[in-house]
Amino acid sequence: MNTVKEARTGIFGWIDRRYGIAPLVEYMRHKEVPVGAHSMVWYYLGGITLFFFSVQVVTGTLLLAYYEAGENTSYESIRFITTKVPFGWLVRSMHCWSAHLMIISLVIHMFSTMMLKAYRPPRELTWLSGFVLLSMALGFGFSGYLLPWNELSFFATVVGTDSMKAVPVVGGWLLQVLRGGGDVTIHTLYRFFALHVVVLPLLIVGIVSFHLVLIQRQGMAKPVAHEPTRRGLRFFPDFMLRDVLLWLVCLIVLASLAVFVPYGLGIPGFEWELGKKANALAPAYPGIKPEWYFLWIYQLLKEFPAHLFGLEGPEAAVGLVSVLMGLWAAMPWLDRKAQREERSPAFTDIGCAALLFLGDLTLKAWDIGGGGVHGAHVDAVASARMTAYWSLGLCFVSLLFRGFVLRQRFFVFTFCTALQIALHGLLGLHYLVAAAIALAVLPIAWYLDARRTPVAPAGEGHA
Amino acid sequence: MVLGLGVFGLLASIVYPVLRYLKPLGAGGQSDPVKLTKEEAAKLDREHSVVIRGGFGRVLIFEDGNQNLKALDARCTHEGCTVQFVPGDANIVCACHNGRFDLDGRNIAGPPPRPLAQHTVVREADGTIVVAPGRKATQV
Repeated sequence: MNTVKEARTGIFGWIDRRYGIAPLVEYMRHKEVPVGAHSMVWYYLGGITLFFFSVQVVTGTLLLAYYEAGENTSYESIRFITTKVPFGWLVRSMHCWSAHLMIISLVIHMFSTMMLKAYRPPRELTWLSGFVLLSMALGFGFSGYLLPWNELSFFATVVGTDSMKAVPVVGGWLLQVLRGGGDVTIHTLYRFFALHVVVLPLLIVGIVSFHLVLIQRQGMAKPVAHEPTRRGLRFFPDFMLRDVLLWLVCLIVLASLAVFVPYGLGIPGFEWELGKKANALAPAYPGIKPEWYFLWIYQLLKEFPAHLFGLEGPEAAVGLVSVLMGLWAAMPWLDRKAQREERSPAFTDIGCAALLFLGDLTLKAWDIGGGGVHGAHVDAVASARMTAYWSLGLCFVSLLFRGFVLRQRFFVFTFCTALQIALHGLLGLHYLVAAAIALAVLPIAWYLDARRTPVAPAGEGHA
Repeated sequence: MVLGLGVFGLLASIVYPVLRYLKPLGAGGQSDPVKLTKEEAAKLDREHSVVIRGGFGRVLIFEDGNQNLKALDARCTHEGCTVQFVPGDANIVCACHNGRFDLDGRNIAGPPPRPLAQHTVVREADGTIVVAPGRKATQV
């Protein structure tokens, strides 16, 4: 307090006398980051995401200096930026790379928050606002994807917007409003451009601010049953300096990728070569894929039959995705044990099973083992088998790690997900039939697990 | 209660015009017949198929094995990608999710839930090809 009083001269004093910021500074002085047996790494992911978002804002603004939205200008202006404007290729490459890196850090941030049960009271709104931010980041990716007006972006938008019609009651209206007509045309691009550079940035700045205020007010979440070994790390300046150092590392990584791999990794969903200009009358080319973070939905759409329970396949698939996303958003209210500050190994296992489910669908969408990732004629059976080998192999390694290193003992959801993958990929059952069998086995596996371990030994299992 | 109604009325008077503004004009599309241009007709002769844009959407026109002209909606009934005619396969294919249709537009493989809508196509005496919207889809 003395320090604050002493500092009430100069610029600080001038501002404090007018706006009374001394209590706020005093509060920040005492803010600490929990330190204990858990890893500190997870606390940096939000900041890294924010850093990549800032890069998006800067490079996006630079791109706006030359980009012209229009039937005869969108594609041409991007080509002009990448071939004629000095360092234009670098600006676009950094914009694309930082978009992907932002989604990667956001996804890791979300899963680490989930595994640490940081969503438990009183941080339900922090989780919910984070979930909205993830949805908006995906919206940024989707709307920005169309702006180069090339072949790939055109068909990705056709497929993505067409899913809207599966929304009950307002689906048709939503499709019309989003596309600016019945089909994807240049009017769609105008609307997406407005979304990408005006609507979403305004909204996201508001929600990011809300998310940050909540974090600053409530502090970083401690793991369940946290036993501090010593006092926490001071947020200012100790944690903040580490954060800034990490941002510099991220900038170096981003710049290196942008310079040495300017058009992405060259695999579907992770490449941004301009390619051919969009032409609605040209057929979609074989092997066309959306961005990597939409691949699981793309593959799920393929796995659903033409009709299911009186619904059309896409309607049923979009319905399932909506339910899964809704459950994910409602996690703080579903996890009753975490609400009571108890370990909830079932929810940790749900997180691992979700990763396995998403990873398996993503690998399958790449058609690995079925003719290559760019293959025109894919052997679906061979691809399903190869995907199963990879998914089950990775699952086995993760189980070893969870069992022997983290000493977790609850694997029911992971087991059922792995069973579904094995039944589909190795025995050739239809994806949904395999899923139905795995769901039927779930309560039996849970019952057997409960009989095996009636009372969890103290300290066993991870939160 | 009165205040609540007032607030609702105020919001509705702002939101409704915005929503009406965003809904595109002529959302239903036009249904006038379309004549193929010389370039489109030449492409049809050369490649046995062509996709054109009519007021009623994208239309695939192709010649089947018996040299008969056929016209189908070119938008896959699964997710709306543009389909293509594969002469060797005698199939209509959508590359987005591996959907397949027969030459009458019936969905025969993959995830498409419905057949492609059929349109009427005629070659007039002067050689002009005219496509008119038709709804003769065959349910599977």
